[in-house]
Amino acid sequence: MSTATDENELLDELRQVFRDGLGVEPVDPITPATRFFADLGLASIDAVVLGEELQKRYGRTLPFSGLLAELGGRAERDLTIGELVAFLQRTL
Amino acid sequence: MPRMKANGLNFHVQQSGDGPDVVLIHGLTGDLSIWFLARTLATLAESFRVTAYDLRGHGYSDAPETGYTSLDHAGDLLAVLDELDVRKARLVGHSFGAVIAMHAAVLAPERVEALVLSDPYFPSLRHLEDLSRWGHWQNFRKEAEDAGVSLSADTWYDLTNFFDQVLHLDDQKLLAFRQAVGLPGLNRVLRLAKTTCGRDSKLDGGLSAEMIDEVSVPCLALYGEYSPFLSTADYLVQHLPRCEGRRIPDAQHRAPEENPRAFNAEVLAFLESLQPAERQKVRS
Repeated sequence: MSTATDENELLDELRQVFRDGLGVEPVDPITPATRFFADLGLASIDAVVLGEELQKRYGRTLPFSGLLAELGGRAERDLTIGELVAFLQRTL
Repeated sequence: MPRMKANGLNFHVQQSGDGPDVVLIHGLTGDLSIWFLARTLATLAESFRVTAYDLRGHGYSDAPETGYTSLDHAGDLLAVLDELDVRKARLVGHSFGAVIAMHAAVLAPERVEALVLSDPYFPSLRHLEDLSRWGHWQNFRKEAEDAGVSLSADTWYDLTNFFDQVLHLDDQKLLAFRQAVGLPGLNRVLRLAKTTCGRDSKLDGGLSAEMIDEVSVPCLALYGEYSPFLSTADYLVQHLPRCEGRRIPDAQHRAPEENPRAFNAEVLAFLESLQPAERQKVRS
């Protein structure tokens, strides 16, 4: 019933969503420092689908488009898994 | 909702907001994520019901082997609108997405309220432009070269040739290419390369210059200040009965990426200028 906001639990949930929702089987385990684009080899469309999967999982609308828009403005255009965990902690 | 069957294919669709319908159509080799990265979807969703979808062969939509002319894509678009129960919409297309929007307006004028044409180049108007000066493709050639694909001086702007080379990379070059674009990126390019997309997108698909000239819905020809296709921009403003032209500062061919703020502002201003009189009164 209670939603996980613990960092380690969220990290575990994200690992599941990456595996089951996006079909990502990384060679190295996903850690907070893992980068969405550079390390997992994903593209921005995969980030959109990740947003869909997370909303499905938590059964509610998350301000994911804001996160993507912010990403679009970044020079590096990358996102760490730690940032995704922080985003979920903020919004869940 | 994010997945939908239309025209016999599965499409990845995103929708947000309330109000008159607006549909966003990305360009070749792109996908709908551009509308998130550029904040276009969120900006327009404040006043409109906005739908974005991945074209066939792109993003998370199906990739049939054939059927990639603007005629085929326009058929998809109208089928997606049917599925969504959208009777009439304002279409915003970027690059080849704008060619698709124009083609839909020719096929079903009663369903298209207005067109935003962001930097298109029309196969039937190719005589207007000198492709060898296309900076976007020059950048593309360099990006491809960094990723291990050498495009010759004669064919470097040719998507078919690019796809053909990617399909025939040896293992070492394939690895370099994969490192440059990522695994899902590589898989998507390979998937599209196996279709007739490259060849079909050079065909006019029946969208003749005469048909373009007669599109009479309100149009905005929105081009980057440094777009390689400014002759096409001028042509549209001169020939279409209701077409205004605007330029996006500091942008070449990819204004939604190069200057998203100005791009969104122009699109919003144009779309809002078409609001029913009543709504405009409330706003003023």
